[in-house]
Amino acid sequence: MSNNTIIKVEGLSKHYLLNKNATQKSDTLYGNFINGIKSIKNITKKNETEDFWALKDVSFEIEKGDRVGIIGRNGAGKSTLLKILSRITPPTRGRIEYSGRMASLLEVGTGFHGDLSGRENIYLNGSILGMSKHEIDRKFDEIVAFAEIEKFLDTPVKRYSSGMYVRLAFAVAAHLEPEILIVDEVLAVGDSAFQKKCLGKMKDVSNSGRTILFVSHQLASVQSLCNKAIVLKKGMVDFPLSETNLSLKHYLKEVASLSKIIIADRTDREGQGNFRFKNVILKDNENQITNSGQTGKDLIFEIEYDINSSSLNNVSVAITIYNDEGRDMVTLANHIVDQPFETLKKENTIQCRVNKFPLTKGSYICNMIAYKDDVIQDYIQEAFNLEIEEGDFFGTGRIAPTAHHSFLIDNKWSIR
Amino acid sequence: MNKDKIIIDPNLSSFFSLKDVLKYKSLLTNLAKRDFLIRYKQAFAGIMWALIKPLMSILVFGYISSKINNIGNTATNFVYVASAMLLWQLFSSVFNDVSNSIIGNSNLFSKVYFPKIIIPLSTILVCLVDFLISLIILIVLFIIAGQTIHWHIILAPLFVLLTLINGFGIGLIFATINVKYRDVKFIVPVILQFGMYATPVIFSTRYYLDRLPEWLHWLFCLNPMVGAIDGFKYALFGGEAIYNVNYFILSICVSFLFLFIGVKYFYKFERSFVDYI
Repeated sequence: MSNNTIIKVEGLSKHYLLNKNATQKSDTLYGNFINGIKSIKNITKKNETEDFWALKDVSFEIEKGDRVGIIGRNGAGKSTLLKILSRITPPTRGRIEYSGRMASLLEVGTGFHGDLSGRENIYLNGSILGMSKHEIDRKFDEIVAFAEIEKFLDTPVKRYSSGMYVRLAFAVAAHLEPEILIVDEVLAVGDSAFQKKCLGKMKDVSNSGRTILFVSHQLASVQSLCNKAIVLKKGMVDFPLSETNLSLKHYLKEVASLSKIIIADRTDREGQGNFRFKNVILKDNENQITNSGQTGKDLIFEIEYDINSSSLNNVSVAITIYNDEGRDMVTLANHIVDQPFETLKKENTIQCRVNKFPLTKGSYICNMIAYKDDVIQDYIQEAFNLEIEEGDFFGTGRIAPTAHHSFLIDNKWSIR
Repeated sequence: MNKDKIIIDPNLSSFFSLKDVLKYKSLLTNLAKRDFLIRYKQAFAGIMWALIKPLMSILVFGYISSKINNIGNTATNFVYVASAMLLWQLFSSVFNDVSNSIIGNSNLFSKVYFPKIIIPLSTILVCLVDFLISLIILIVLFIIAGQTIHWHIILAPLFVLLTLINGFGIGLIFATINVKYRDVKFIVPVILQFGMYATPVIFSTRYYLDRLPEWLHWLFCLNPMVGAIDGFKYALFGGEAIYNVNYFILSICVSFLFLFIGVKYFYKFERSFVDYI
């Protein structure tokens, strides 16, 4: 360990055995009963299992004061890595050496209890995160001020607005003073002003010489917070720990190449699979197939799918569009606009029409997800790329410079 | 730079360390405080339930035992039943709560590291507070029955402690099994229900042993609660509560055996709990 190294990870691997023939959950009481009898009958039989390496031979060294971003798609092993680092789960192989006090923030408000007051929760949550009573006493006023909840200190937190709840939870965590701070996605919550405050607080933390490990899907916040980043892919290091920009570039190139694969051939999907996306075709307002959309013109997403029976009820489908920095822009979902599909037949296709497409020129990436009765059937990240061309949104012949917009909305001006 | 280097590797094994527990002392008390505050929140009778619940059992079983034993002076009989019943309820709440404590708090240790033994330990604190409140019943009954107090009473806390050890040791075994097999939550109430009749709660050890064939006596006394309850009765009433000193010691040995097995078993699987939750 060189003098400046604070965390050293060597050949870290984590292995899970997945149950192959896990008893299928049944919806009916009778089915559950039969399953119960079957499992008692099979009690002596060994379950067939499947090997799964969540992490494989991951090594890196972090220097004191580094702010390290960990990037990767779902299932890349980011969370597993954080869990091993924070001693929640043991590794199967390899070792980690670190020095100093480490605190991990894998969730905002761990152990918060709705029936307890804000004051009681500060003490509870603080002690869960490893603060002593004395430490919490000392920081109490600061925490309350940061969370802006002075008036509601003795109100049970179940009566808090979700914003207040998150603010309080983050405030406790932010006042930990570890040498190493591990943060997972916590910034994805709260309003944007508060997110800024959190990022600011985390920058303060790192400026005081502490080390931060940070996982986020928001590439933008990785970019603004971290000076180094590592890319994980399928449990392995895909791009070694290097300058944030280099790592991000590599990752985005990966993502772009992935979405060129036809959706039907994608294997990296999640969900039960009763409904599977096959293809997405873009169409313009004349119902002509097109490669790209245009700002201000109608855009139709035509979704082809497969179902494993002749018809399927109560399916909802959503497309999330995000920009090339990883920031979510908009979600199109039929259940949010309350236009449910009563019955889907095998031969149908689904159409989603967006009138006057509001996003400005640029490359976007779309995730697709399908539910049946609130159970995920198919979920594909980075399912397809969406190119948007410049267009005359307002019908005035004037096109606003994209530097000032990420989307456009109609607006009317007048003098009264 | 801080020199306390920490190494994480697959073979790292831990065992109970008082130093670790003391380091997380504030977590221990805060968790206990949380459980205690929540337990009676939004209950109209609030903390009174800590009295009502045991009082009901004492009244019912005290009445039954006085009928069966044909004892005239029931106040004394109620004191006897109450002392055993309170201790049994302490055991059953510790056993039950400890065996559910790990899965009940999985949301905590799947997100933050701390010595997991803190969770069952804090459970004990909560049960103990309930027990101390319910002691009021015993004191009142003592006064009603006009019982005199022996010097042995200073031994009473030892047998409360022994009860905690019983509940904790056996509870830890079940807490560990519970992580993988949720059947535990159904089994524990059954064990407790039958266990009460195999323990001198309603009747004395003498009552049982007089009716059991001799070769079953030692089996009866393998029940760790026999030692705790008989000892407690001896501390309160003196006299012949302890039927046979050898059996009494046997029962206490079983208590510590369970404690040892429980702690050992718990620590053996502690690190992999998260993977099964």
